Amino acid sequence: MNRTVVNILVVLGAVILQIGVAPYISIGGVVPNFLLLAAVTLAMVQGPTAGCAAGFACGLLFDLLGSGPVGPMAVVLAATGYIAGLLATNLFAEGWLLPLSVLALASLGAELTYALLLTLFGTPIPFFRSLFTLVIPGAVYNTALALLAYPFLARFLRRERPVAEFRRLA
Amino acid sequence: MRTPPADRSSPRFGLLAVLVLVGLALTTLWFREGPTGPVHRVQVTVHAATAPVGRVGEFLTTPVRRASTWTSNFIASRSEIATLRQQNGTLRARLAELEEARLENVRLRGLIAMTQRGKLKAMGANVIGRPTGTWEGFITIDKGKADGVESGMAVTGVSGLLGRTTEVTARTSRVQLITDQRSGVAAMIQSTRAGGIVNGSIEGDLSLNYVSKETTVRPGDVVVTSGIGGVYPKGLLVGDVLKARKDPGELYQRIEVRPTAQIAGIEEVLVLLSKPPAPELGTGE
Repeated sequence: MNRTVVNILVVLGAVILQIGVAPYISIGGVVPNFLLLAAVTLAMVQGPTAGCAAGFACGLLFDLLGSGPVGPMAVVLAATGYIAGLLATNLFAEGWLLPLSVLALASLGAELTYALLLTLFGTPIPFFRSLFTLVIPGAVYNTALALLAYPFLARFLRRERPVAEFRRLA
Repeated sequence: MRTPPADRSSPRFGLLAVLVLVGLALTTLWFREGPTGPVHRVQVTVHAATAPVGRVGEFLTTPVRRASTWTSNFIASRSEIATLRQQNGTLRARLAELEEARLENVRLRGLIAMTQRGKLKAMGANVIGRPTGTWEGFITIDKGKADGVESGMAVTGVSGLLGRTTEVTARTSRVQLITDQRSGVAAMIQSTRAGGIVNGSIEGDLSLNYVSKETTVRPGDVVVTSGIGGVYPKGLLVGDVLKARKDPGELYQRIEVRPTAQIAGIEEVLVLLSKPPAPELGTGE
């Protein structure tokens, strides 16, 4: 299947999960971000340029699904996808622990930057309170979900090179 | 042996820079254009187009959520608890209404002209979508313009105020919950009539702001809508005071409010179709 079609399918799948599943598995007000997981996974599998484009698309869709400003999450996920792609390209090819570390860092960084952008655009957000009640729990939750979803998604996206054959490069 | 980076594209920083600029431009446009601008319209269209997905999610997860609630309440009879909760909510709302009526009666006694409060027309609606992100407090209901819903109508649950409609399409409406960080409800302490604004927060808690330090506020005091601003009708139950604190150096009290309505997991709501009458400012005679 064409790689672009596969990428679109992954993003659409993430949109459906974000609307139809994420609100119902929220814990203590923390809603998992499937679009972030899709963007970071695509970035790690396909590199920074694809990750950047996928991140922008996922972020824009996330913004359009919500009732807040359109654009901040697109900016955040474009940058997150780019950085995650760079990390994946330069540090390692595959392995279970390191991709999850990137996902955890990406989740934490994305939510923090999103909160900062909202503050810059005039939405008052108590930084430390939201850090401990939403941002860090959100990163933990997203990482836990990535633990379940990433291996399957990575295999689906990179069927021509089985995951087991990859070796750490650095 | 190094794995050849066959499917890894070379980094293009220019693309990132362009996308970041586009994103920032969209954000700026969103803030500047107002609710009828093109970006807002696209957002409303996306909400309307994706509402069926939310409806399916709501339908599929209802048995799971009910089973979860049932399991958590297994010590007592599920139906008994549901009935008692409903009765409790109804009675609390009724009590607040009666107290409101009594106080109003006291204030108006002796006046020559006494106006009778109009009964509010309400319509039931089902929740078909819940917040898709951590940072917002909006739900979607299955009633829209075709059913007579307009933007800015108050929405309540069995036991208290939930929020107001913001985006209304033909068949669905988005409801901004009172716990949303951008929400503000003109409210007052029922017993003392001290007015303020109930604001939501990022964590979904409520606070009553702009209440003078000279007013005595106690935990358990009932908070109702004041009707000021014309968005919410007067006397709707908002919540109870949890804590009230007077910090030195602060102009107003810090009052935490617990919402009366069960916001998490709510399935049915009431939309108040009749908008509250505009406040009479006097004729100047």
